[in-house]
Amino acid sequence: MPDTEPGRMATMPRLMLEMRGVAKRFGANEVLRGVSLSVPRGQTVVVIGPSGSGKTTLLRCINMLEDYEAGIVAVDGVPIGYAVDEKSGRRQRMAERAIAAARETIGIVFQSYNLFPHMSVLSNIIAAPIRVKGVSRPQAETRARELLAMVGLSDKEKEYPARLSGGQQQRVAIARALAMEPKIMLFDEVTSALDPELVGEVLAAMRQLARDGMTMVVVTHEMSFARDVADRVVFMDGGVIVEEGPPETMFSTPKTERVRQFLKRHNDRYRI
Amino acid sequence: MPFDPNFIRRLLPALLEGAEITIELSVLTIAICLVWGLLVALANATRGPLAWLAAAYIQIVRNTPLLIQMYLVYFGLGFAGLPLSGFMCGLLALCLQNGGYVAEIYRGGLQSVSARQYESGRALGMRRWTLYRVVVLPQVIARVIPPLANQGISIIKDTSQVAAIAVMDIMKVAQIWVESSANTYDVFLTVGLIYLSLTTIVSFGARFAERRLAFVA
Amino acid sequence: MRTFAPLIHGYWYLLRGAGMTLLMAGASVVPATLLGMLFALGQIFGGRISRAAIVTYIFVVRGIPLLVLLTFVYYLLPLTGIDLPPFWGVVLVMACYYAAFMAEVFRAGILSLPQAQWDAARGLGMNRRQMLWIVIFPQAFRLAAPPFVNLCANLIKATSLVSVVGLWELTMASREIVERTLAPFQIFIGAAFLYFCMCFALSRYGKYLEGRVLAGH
Repeated sequence: MPDTEPGRMATMPRLMLEMRGVAKRFGANEVLRGVSLSVPRGQTVVVIGPSGSGKTTLLRCINMLEDYEAGIVAVDGVPIGYAVDEKSGRRQRMAERAIAAARETIGIVFQSYNLFPHMSVLSNIIAAPIRVKGVSRPQAETRARELLAMVGLSDKEKEYPARLSGGQQQRVAIARALAMEPKIMLFDEVTSALDPELVGEVLAAMRQLARDGMTMVVVTHEMSFARDVADRVVFMDGGVIVEEGPPETMFSTPKTERVRQFLKRHNDRYRI
Repeated sequence: MPFDPNFIRRLLPALLEGAEITIELSVLTIAICLVWGLLVALANATRGPLAWLAAAYIQIVRNTPLLIQMYLVYFGLGFAGLPLSGFMCGLLALCLQNGGYVAEIYRGGLQSVSARQYESGRALGMRRWTLYRVVVLPQVIARVIPPLANQGISIIKDTSQVAAIAVMDIMKVAQIWVESSANTYDVFLTVGLIYLSLTTIVSFGARFAERRLAFVA
Repeated sequence: MRTFAPLIHGYWYLLRGAGMTLLMAGASVVPATLLGMLFALGQIFGGRISRAAIVTYIFVVRGIPLLVLLTFVYYLLPLTGIDLPPFWGVVLVMACYYAAFMAEVFRAGILSLPQAQWDAARGLGMNRRQMLWIVIFPQAFRLAAPPFVNLCANLIKATSLVSVVGLWELTMASREIVERTLAPFQIFIGAAFLYFCMCFALSRYGKYLEGRVLAGH
């Protein structure tokens, strides 16, 4: 199979995201030690765990912002990053062009918003649809305005990012990612840099998104969000998934001591 | 007798002729350095011997006086049997030195775009060229305009040193008139005003461009 | 080796020239720094008139070539009847000229401190003098140190201009040797090398300080 034309993986079409045995190291530091994670279409998976547990790296490996040494990732059955040769079974890095194309199907929102400072809100949202997907400008603008309405920022389309609050910037970042019509959305601690009073507005937008049936992987410290919105909670520590399950059992009767400890410390700190 | 209008009336045409040379030198130097500096900056950003060469070039031209560089080009090339006109020698030295400064300005501009900006672009599916054109370059351009304007002002002032290799710019004309007329005040007042208006045009132009391109409130 | 014979014969003369260059630069840096600090403070804390005066001064000085000012004073001094040795005349011009650039460096240093530092000092019940000397100046100087050092390197290079008005230092020394030996390449490269040593050392030091400022020490 030529690496520029990734074929569809035949297995389990119900899964929107499939990661198998993903391993990643920074020098001597093993950040991910063979993580496998599956997310069915339309579900929201929340990843929790202590800092340095590999949550963010896991997310960044999904869209190849971080290269990884072992394992494969597929979105909606299409491999991204590495393809497996069907005959030899060997793992092969895909061409940059193919990776870029695959990234179009994955939206990501970062902790630090990362809006383009030289563009207005509207331009931020339409830049990639126009330049990458070749959508016509009027069409892109119409869709951008719909998305701005959804995140409650219709009156800000002409503003520049520096003039918005953190919460507003983050909501624009969500709209920007959604404008590419992704199949799956990744959220990397998107509320961690926000003032407490601004966290709510961003979480509300994410809740809405989950309700609308978007497939989401959310790395967060917001336990109440995890409890309310997640279909499944994944607890990571030391580069592996320690425990996973529905939020009800995870938060009330965790199976492992490590999760119990983590939740206890977390609750003490935030008094949930 | 200071502030003699009749004297200034006779002086002005000569000075303006010199100003023409000054402006020519400045415009050519600025135009060449904008391109040459970019080439040096790009070479400096590569890996390997080319980057080493560019870095050495930048350090050498920035850490030696323009006047010495001019003498080296003017007398050196003459002795090497490659006599260039004073104007060309001056231009060459001006470009050599300021190219090093402009390269550093570009480098600073490129570095000021954070890795996260590249990341956001890539996450949206942009490939290298789109990423540069849509995300990186507009930010770099906006950030390099103020330091480039300062460099432009510096270049205009630097051109006065070509007087030392017998090019008839404003400075040289002024020296000749001072020595022949002893009307020191009037000559230097006029010369100062001419330089000041040239540099002011550049700084106002830059401020205008800056405001047009400003995106950080 | 024969090609560099003139340089070998003239090296002691060049070194003495370099000594003179350093002396001149050193004598200019001290008053330039003091005057620059004064201007910076006047611009930040002064009344409307002193602020306007300083802004105008900086604007004018930054827009006129140093060579024009040096030549002006060179022709002016005999006319005024002030009995100032040329060395001190040059130091005076250099100091006044570089004070304008120093002022910008120190002003930027002071203004780049976050408002929180002023608030914190005020919150501790300090009066303005205590605030400045205990909280603001120590931090502002650290921030201003790297550009200040780079400006010093710039000043060393600029001393080469005094050779145009007939003062003896490294550039003048090299021109004298060139006239005797007719070996411009070797001698000017030798002079450039000496300038490079002085300026490169300073700019490395500036880079080192920059690193320390960024690292937050």
